[in-house]
Amino acid sequence: MIKSILSYEFLSSAIRVTVPIILSALAALVQRKANILCICNESIMLFAALGGVVASAWTNSLFLGFIGGIVAGELIALIFSYFVLKLDTDPMLIALALNIFGSGGTIFLLFLITGDKGSSISLASKVFPIINIPLIEDIPVLGKILSGHNLMVYVSAATLVVVAWLVNKSRLGLRIRAVGENPEAAKSVGIKVSRYRLIAMLIGGFIASLGGMYMSMGYLTCFSRDMVMGRSFIGIAAQNLGAGNPWITAIASLVFGVFQAVANTAQSFRMPAHLANMVPYIVTLLGLIAMGVYAGRNEKNRIKKTVEANVQNKSNAEKYDRRNTNSNE
Amino acid sequence: MRLNEKKRGQASIEREFGVYRTAISIAAALAVTFVLIFAISDDPSGDLVAFLFGPFQSLYRFSNVIEKVIPLLFTGTAVCLMFRGGQANLSAESAFYIGALTSSAVATIDGIPAPLHFILCALAGGAVGAFVCWISAFLGVKFGVMVLVASMMVNYIVQLCGQYILIYHMADPTAGYVASLPYAASAKLPIMFAGTKVHYGLVIGILVIVAVSVVMHRTRLGFNLRTIGDNPNFARLCGINIGGTAIAIQLLGGAIAGLGGCCETLGMNTRFLYERLTNHGWDGIMLAVIAGNDPRKLPLAALFLAYIRTGADILNRTSNMPVEVVKIIQAVIIAMICAKGLLSRLEHKAVIKNAAKDELTAKTEAAK
Repeated sequence: MIKSILSYEFLSSAIRVTVPIILSALAALVQRKANILCICNESIMLFAALGGVVASAWTNSLFLGFIGGIVAGELIALIFSYFVLKLDTDPMLIALALNIFGSGGTIFLLFLITGDKGSSISLASKVFPIINIPLIEDIPVLGKILSGHNLMVYVSAATLVVVAWLVNKSRLGLRIRAVGENPEAAKSVGIKVSRYRLIAMLIGGFIASLGGMYMSMGYLTCFSRDMVMGRSFIGIAAQNLGAGNPWITAIASLVFGVFQAVANTAQSFRMPAHLANMVPYIVTLLGLIAMGVYAGRNEKNRIKKTVEANVQNKSNAEKYDRRNTNSNE
Repeated sequence: MRLNEKKRGQASIEREFGVYRTAISIAAALAVTFVLIFAISDDPSGDLVAFLFGPFQSLYRFSNVIEKVIPLLFTGTAVCLMFRGGQANLSAESAFYIGALTSSAVATIDGIPAPLHFILCALAGGAVGAFVCWISAFLGVKFGVMVLVASMMVNYIVQLCGQYILIYHMADPTAGYVASLPYAASAKLPIMFAGTKVHYGLVIGILVIVAVSVVMHRTRLGFNLRTIGDNPNFARLCGINIGGTAIAIQLLGGAIAGLGGCCETLGMNTRFLYERLTNHGWDGIMLAVIAGNDPRKLPLAALFLAYIRTGADILNRTSNMPVEVVKIIQAVIIAMICAKGLLSRLEHKAVIKNAAKDELTAKTEAAK
């Protein structure tokens, strides 16, 4: 088993399973920058997965399927934004409602369209193509790991770069961060808070939709009920570990992906599937704990430093006072 | 005195609009259902009647409603308790499942006398349920982990763990399907009314609701949890032990959900046969939202949900309407009730009008 974990195939399978996690983590990151905790990415991904499959089967075109998936996902993001921004709803509760809707609604629609509640196997849906990168393909080791993946794998890498630029370098990103960190201050300089929150939600919805479509049009070739299986929550955890930094978020997602791949490999070595599938969730919990320990220690250090600085200031001030009194004398 | 009256006036207006909002959300959910029925069904009017009045058409169907109420009483109370204290723990779902599984393991042991056997099952189920909810509570208090995300992870872990135990260690190979060994007769919860499947879990559930509302409204723990739920910063400044209270209510909530799983499976089934999470925890969240996290209003909310679910079951059997329509109804109801902005303008107007009236009476009194 260890031998097969050390193979190229393992690394490339780790990349494959990382894609939905990284995309949902990046979506959560953009939303987080606008100070929105959106736990309904699960539902966005489910609807995008179903929308992509159904639209591509009906129109017989991959591009229109892609559009269909994005529209389905953004619809959920819009409903969420409308309730949170316009109707002043608790984001957690509306997101829970949307998650219930996502699970029930996709099965409902699937049944109406295909007559089957389990999967969309009877629909002739499209799949994103496999891309072989011309030059890299020929490099001995790297070629096998990096080339020959689904289109969405490269799209998710590009998304990472775009999000990193968007959040840290662009004007839009600056405004989204301003709105998230201090809405009152942003308002006072004429930034429309609700508008930028909505934009952040829609960008997040778009990215999450990509992740959802990858599930049903790349990772698997059909939609099956509740297929996202909490990946958006793992994404939120990865985003938490990254603490707002896209690159660290990506690394954290990759770590979770590697453990998912370990679980997949372990299954083929006669480890019971149920136990193997627990691994990614347990690792996520451990990651969150590690983050908590790290943050706690940082907080302690910060307090210690502040206290020390205060003491230093005080003694400096005393010295200064003494000097002053001395000179007065 | 004057101030008090004014305050009571505003609170009653808020309560009144809460009722309106609930009514509107239920109406909206039913409207969505009607639209779906008309869009999909081959026989819309017949299906509509079946959905709305089906549960009343026979005693057996009505007893189905009551059977469905029983587990909801437990998970609803568990969620009320945790959400009222501001703890967004979603593990009631898996606590219910693992509670049912553990108590089933105890229930398959032979040779324990009748009342003791069920009590042992209930203790086992409650303890494991409490443990499951405790995990994310502990991580939240100790490490500052987001309880919401942690409890979702716990849900997936517990579901997989439960499936593993059921398939590899508890399955009865002679059953012909995935299920545990049959329960010993001494462990089963007795039936309350002959001819139905309504069991004594109903009584236990009502006792739990009474106990929890006493805890929430008459004890120090209850006061603490309500204060934390309303304003955690205020609670901290008052010197309330936030971490301890959070862990206590999540332990209690998990125990109640686990007990619910125990009562449900020992009352309704002869073997353990849940192959995946049962969705009762999510139902509990919806009920807690409708009841405004007040366990005293839970039975009515549970009756409502059980009623529409029975209606949807009937539709599922008699027409081409999938039973998932209930989830859509649930989502619409939660969303609409939580939409504080709904009617907010009218509410604002009513509050102002009330205040103006108060001012007027105060002025006339002063003039006298």
